[in-house]
Amino acid sequence: MRDEWFRADRLPHIYCAGCGNGTIVNCVLEAVSMTGWDRKNTVFLSGIGCSSRAPGYILTDSLHTTHGRAIAFATGVKMADPSLHVVVFTGDGDLAAIGGNHFIHACRRNIDLTVVCMNNHIYGMTGGQGSPTTPLGKTSTTTPYGASETPFDLVDLAVAAGANYVARWTSFHVKQLTEAVLNGLNTPGFSLIEVRCQCPTSYGRRNKYREPVDYITHLKAHAILKDKWESMEKSGQDMPADSFPVGEFVRRARPVMGVPDEA
Amino acid sequence: MKLEIDESRCKGCNLCTMVCPYKIYRPGSRPNRKGIYIPELDRPERCPNCRLQELYGRRLCGVCALICPDQAIRWVPEKPYEPMKVVIEY
Ligand SMILES: Cc1ncc(C[n+]2csc(CCOP(=O)(O)OP(=O)(O)O)c2C)c(N)n1
Ligand code: SF4
Ligand code: SF4
Ligand SMILES: [Mg+2]
Repeated sequence: MRDEWFRADRLPHIYCAGCGNGTIVNCVLEAVSMTGWDRKNTVFLSGIGCSSRAPGYILTDSLHTTHGRAIAFATGVKMADPSLHVVVFTGDGDLAAIGGNHFIHACRRNIDLTVVCMNNHIYGMTGGQGSPTTPLGKTSTTTPYGASETPFDLVDLAVAAGANYVARWTSFHVKQLTEAVLNGLNTPGFSLIEVRCQCPTSYGRRNKYREPVDYITHLKAHAILKDKWESMEKSGQDMPADSFPVGEFVRRARPVMGVPDEA
Repeated sequence: MKLEIDESRCKGCNLCTMVCPYKIYRPGSRPNRKGIYIPELDRPERCPNCRLQELYGRRLCGVCALICPDQAIRWVPEKPYEPMKVVIEY
């Protein structure tokens, strides 16, 4: 049960009411508790951001590192002792902006980490600045007239760079997300699970999703299963505005790094 | 088992009201001591976990507890169910 992984004395956590990060921590811990791993040889890491506070609520050894460097620290942990299970919590800013290079090279090396990206489309902790995943036209404190730059697709990025397991879900799809995290944990090599989630305080407030329920409803309505998405693409249909594919995008067995020798 | 919302953790986001297939959670109508509108439970004994968790030896459904960002939803053991004695007055 995931309850055994929470530091109950640290709860309630500091996340705002209805913040999706709390849901994602539930799903990750649920998946971790299904692996049968020992808390003693499991390590959680993170960089800086609201999302990156997650390891502080978990009863294992953890490293809350510097902004964007979670994967670099995780690489160090994994190479020093490949028998450890290493899970990284990161935000869209942490992973794709300042930490972008660490991200693509960890995918290229295919190092045995599971990275969960809580993508709330902005820098939540510092007051809602635009990030590399802010959708076109959306308002943030640094895009007051609407974002005009094309955002990154984190899934495409990880697939192209060579990760062994890549999936995307949302904070609404809790059961599917739990299963995807479990698959990521069980796949040797680099696993990325992108989770689109609500930040009612910094993103919602400026984009007409003030209540937590508003953005969850939006995610539910605009997430299209990968198979359906592909058949729509094939038939040349126009994709509904703001929609995005969810599901498992890649599960493969490229050469990996940081996996203990099976001898 | 009994379904409970831990008032010391709930922040009143109402996400649980969205996901329960039995519609057990309803947005709260009165603020508590901290000013939070804790959702109200509509006949929580209908939840399959209250009825069957012990029989199956595992958690069923549980989407409310999984989506609750504040880890506020839980099932606590209850005394064995005792049918009420009906007193017939002549
Ligand atoms: C080197 C460095 N640069 C900038 C910052 C300021 N900073 C703190 S959190 C953050 C952005 C966090 O965004 P994200 O990773 O998306 O996390 P969120 O808060 O949205 O979960 C920034 C820019 C910092 N702490 N360190
Ligand atoms: S600012 Fe946004 S991301 Fe940060 S805790 Fe609040 S709702 Fe969550
Ligand atoms: S999901 Fe959790 S925090 Fe939100 S209203 Fe329900 S019990 Fe409270
Ligand atoms: Mg963010």
